[in-house]
Amino acid sequence: MRLSEALQINQQPLTPGAPARKIHLVSGLTPLHLETMVKAYARRRFPGDSVEVVCGLFGDFEGNLRRIAAEEAGGALVVVEWSDLDARLGMRASAGWGEAATADILQQAPQTLRRWIAALSEAARAMPVALLGPTLPLPPITHFPPAQANPLELQLRCAWAGFLNQAAALRGVRLASDSALDLRSPHAARYDARMDLHAGFPYSVAHAAAVAELGFQCLFPEAPKKGLITDLDETLWKGIVGDAGVENVSWSLEGHAQPHALYQQLLASLAEAGTLIGIASKNDPATVREALARSDMLLKPSHIFPVEVSWGAKSEAVARILKAWNIGADAVVFVDDSPMELAEVNEKFPAMECVRFPSADPAGVVELLARLRRAFGKSEVREEDRLRLGSLRAAAEIGEAEAGGAASPDFLSRLNAQVTIEYSSSPEDGRAFELLNKTNQFNLNGVRYSENDWRGYFRQPGAFLAAVSYQDRFGPLGKIAVLGGRSQGPAVHVDFWVMSCRAFSRQIEFQLLRRLFDRFGAAEFHFAFQSTPRNGPLADFFRTFFPDFTGEPLTLTRERFDAACPELFHRVSETTHDGH
Amino acid sequence: MRPAPNYFIASRKPLMTDIENRIVACFAMVFPNLTPDQIAAANSATVPEWDSVAQINLLTVIGEEFGIEIDFEEFEGATSFGHLLERVRALAASA
Repeated sequence: MRLSEALQINQQPLTPGAPARKIHLVSGLTPLHLETMVKAYARRRFPGDSVEVVCGLFGDFEGNLRRIAAEEAGGALVVVEWSDLDARLGMRASAGWGEAATADILQQAPQTLRRWIAALSEAARAMPVALLGPTLPLPPITHFPPAQANPLELQLRCAWAGFLNQAAALRGVRLASDSALDLRSPHAARYDARMDLHAGFPYSVAHAAAVAELGFQCLFPEAPKKGLITDLDETLWKGIVGDAGVENVSWSLEGHAQPHALYQQLLASLAEAGTLIGIASKNDPATVREALARSDMLLKPSHIFPVEVSWGAKSEAVARILKAWNIGADAVVFVDDSPMELAEVNEKFPAMECVRFPSADPAGVVELLARLRRAFGKSEVREEDRLRLGSLRAAAEIGEAEAGGAASPDFLSRLNAQVTIEYSSSPEDGRAFELLNKTNQFNLNGVRYSENDWRGYFRQPGAFLAAVSYQDRFGPLGKIAVLGGRSQGPAVHVDFWVMSCRAFSRQIEFQLLRRLFDRFGAAEFHFAFQSTPRNGPLADFFRTFFPDFTGEPLTLTRERFDAACPELFHRVSETTHDGH
Repeated sequence: MRPAPNYFIASRKPLMTDIENRIVACFAMVFPNLTPDQIAAANSATVPEWDSVAQINLLTVIGEEFGIEIDFEEFEGATSFGHLLERVRALAASA
């Protein structure tokens, strides 16, 4: 991004009533273009929102880091350079580059880093933190020729690696990848000596943009896509299985088909991290079944659901997969080697990302792998991610309609269902936060929470969180529902409530409300319901109590709830975590 | 030479040079509250927002616009629209 583009983005009009976002930029530099760029990336990501980038004092990295612990903000981008560790490691100092100086720098560095880790830990308690740097080379401080590694640099890098290792273990701290920065910003084009000496800002404009973009992506990562639908012939393997035969399609280095092995390997890895993998192929079902069962397949049958093989249109197969997964097209990537098939699917599902598998272009495949990691990457794999595919498959096997349609009481009574409700009054439940921000259908009002909003919510008097886990004889679903509210006298105000579509039709929502009425001794619940384009399932639930419900905030009394609540068969356990 | 953004063409005299139009556009990015007429008369004494940071932003944006590397110290005294226009014209002529 050029500076002129960033300035133009920052001047775009604000949307009246849009949220104000505050981001701390912690560095020891004059913020200058870095501040402008951080603001521009924030404004581009949150169009119409007001964005304030708060910078600290020049030359006081440690003080700036320490001070944000007492602040409230959406996040902090911490950008560190070697000169923050010791001013003698920057070009603006002239205190000598002799052996005494290097020995002293090495002696001071561990102590400084110990103080930094303590300050970083405090800051991360207050807000999410992304840490990036050092991005600039060390000055030629030792007698070694530049082509040779020198002990000062090696020892500093070793100390820094130890610091990063500790930082990575802190909750709420994300480390930006040096490799990712290398791809965006070549080393030789990073340093601007003129600007450093003139203004205390050592970055070229292009490097400032790269640092801001990468740091911002770490601080506010995009929600990962949920599912990938892949073609088979010339995509998952080399060859046309219907023509060549099951034994003659290949994905090996020896068979000159290694790109397909890499692709399978990536899909298996995505599946193990909770990404849904489906197959849409124009083929003979029996032949495909046999091919997928080959023992040398890297993508195992257990990774895949569903397999849609027919001679019909690809878009029809894709539609059936979306229905089985019960997710929107915008959360899915479709991969096929045929431009025609991609166009046909894209026409039917414009929101779906449709990507060509470049089977004859190894470099293109490597780029595709990186692109898919970008689309599906997540910094944490939770138990629910591992359970997702199994629960979808189980639901399909018993012929249960996940998106709607109540199962019979007889069926429910034989599920041997166990509901576990965890109550807390703190924002420590990362899965609850994730679920709240990615669930669309059973969602009280569609309101998304930033990490700062989330922390702030639990500072309100009487605020509580109820998180629900579920399992039955078909296996565990993990944590599938989250409700947040405030208990005020005889009433409970429910501000958010979501439940994963995997848990529909099991009457978990009724059980949760019953337990909440009991727990709080409440006479009534006020629900901050708002209609969204996709939260029909929750509106349908409220119609159990109010047949004429049209989608406004509502109050449900205990009497009305008891009158309409069906017979429930779950075993229930309830636990309370303070979290503070 | 690239044409100036349309919103400036509409409000400027037709005889204005392309370089001048582009400098005006650069000023508008750094000082979005100034009208084109105020830009033409702008200097660091009359525009309160014109501080050292704004000066660096202005010179950087002009550098980007014309594809030239600007020596900040050499341009230190160029603190009015007229001065900057004159310097950039000179640079363009010598390029």
